[in-house]
Amino acid sequence: MKHYEVEILDAKTREKLCFLDKVEPQATIAEIKNLFTKTHPQWYPARQSLRLDPKGRSLKDEDVLQKLPVGTTATLYFRDLGAQISWVTVFLTEYAGPLFIYLLFYFRVPFIYGHKYDFTSSRHSVVHLACICHSFHYVKRLLETLFVHRFSHGTMPLRNIFKNCTYYWGFAAWMAYYINHPLYTPPTYGAQQVKLALAIFVICQLGNFSIHMALRDLRPAGSKTRKIPYPTKNPFTWLFLLVSCPNYTYEVGSWIGFAIMTQCLPVALFSLVGFTQMTIWAKGKHRSYLKEFRDYPPLRMPIVPFLL
Amino acid sequence: WLVIAVGLVRAYLAKGSYHSLYYSIEKPLKFFQTGALLEILHCAIGIVPSSVVLTSFQVMSRVFLIWAVTHSVKEVQTEDSVLLFVTAWTITEIIRYSFYTFSLLNHLPYLIKWARYTLFIVLYPMGVSGELLTIYAALPFVRQAGLYSISLPNKYNFSFDYYAFLILIMISYIPLFPQLYFHMIHQRRKVLSRTEEHKKFE
Repeated sequence: MKHYEVEILDAKTREKLCFLDKVEPQATIAEIKNLFTKTHPQWYPARQSLRLDPKGRSLKDEDVLQKLPVGTTATLYFRDLGAQISWVTVFLTEYAGPLFIYLLFYFRVPFIYGHKYDFTSSRHSVVHLACICHSFHYVKRLLETLFVHRFSHGTMPLRNIFKNCTYYWGFAAWMAYYINHPLYTPPTYGAQQVKLALAIFVICQLGNFSIHMALRDLRPAGSKTRKIPYPTKNPFTWLFLLVSCPNYTYEVGSWIGFAIMTQCLPVALFSLVGFTQMTIWAKGKHRSYLKEFRDYPPLRMPIVPFLL
Repeated sequence: WLVIAVGLVRAYLAKGSYHSLYYSIEKPLKFFQTGALLEILHCAIGIVPSSVVLTSFQVMSRVFLIWAVTHSVKEVQTEDSVLLFVTAWTITEIIRYSFYTFSLLNHLPYLIKWARYTLFIVLYPMGVSGELLTIYAALPFVRQAGLYSISLPNKYNFSFDYYAFLILIMISYIPLFPQLYFHMIHQRRKVLSRTEEHKKFE
């Protein structure tokens, strides 16, 4: 069996960083990354980007050396992706924050509102309901992160955790401040409005969960396969007929429900910002589905049926 | 912007003092500075290669100062700080637009290039001082009138304190100004040294 030689050069300076001889032809990029880490321990595999061309796209961990367009001496270019942090860690941190922060405001912990309000409770039932809904939402997200989601990438750049936490924690504090404020004004249309909003919220939470489960079932444990998602027996998944990313559709719906329930402008603004971001993600996902699958259903829109 | 410069000089000569010159150039200032919003559009659609974010920052901060501070708080319109930033902006913009015009005609006099990349050293701090002093002067009047502020309780459960917002804006100058300033200094070194090299080979 002929062995390969692999040399790894820095993509920017073309400096020779590492030379590996006697590499198996069936070696994967993941294995090469591990070998590279041995000589440069500060560059653990998650922060390595190896490519055939300095300006080209990164090779995947599963790519096999033999199948790449290289001779028996392969030249790979290395780019440092910077410090990495696992998706699970980021998700858990960014979701635990709002859960905890909202409760600080709900229980009116000292130094937030005037001292005469410390540890008092709101007399409006909708405020208690809102706390239950908000907390449920983030508990659901935490549990999904731990038990449901299957991530294709293990890590993301470290600076993302600061950016993401600022967003989630900041908005949570801003919303919670007003909803739990002693001068909070309950919804104009009273119990009717709250009931309708609660219905929207619950339906969308169930919908969002159903989609997450359906997506999980598309991908066997430990694999990174991608398949076209289709509606299942669960009626909530029938939204797949009209939309590529119904999880985002349901998520926006949940927050709209919450905004109607609390009649709080900061909540509406949070929903709007979230919708904007999710639309960008949905369009990207939709585009990659179209690129990858010839037979992708043509009726589907990225996030809003028929419109967007 | 030459209109504004000429307007300023004429008004100064007519009145003999430099107080209240704002009123003599108020309309063209509003018109031309607000018109700079087009520059953001040009970056966004790609006909100008600058960064949309950087340009937005620059233009929005100017537009904010003109409309949300100077126009809105009438009491500061007679402040000298207004004249300070208007003068700084006027000189900067005349040079900047001349730079672009001559560059497009492929006939850029070195003097204009030099001026654009050197005078900012004085004009930038001058402008920033004028801006900060104006915002600071506006604060008590904003507080008093509750300008652009909304307080609880209200049916949308929202509040906004324009006074606190202005203070936050002033604080934001601390990290932002040095970054922009040193970026220009860096640009200066790059642009002016390149010209020196070209001259050597002539």
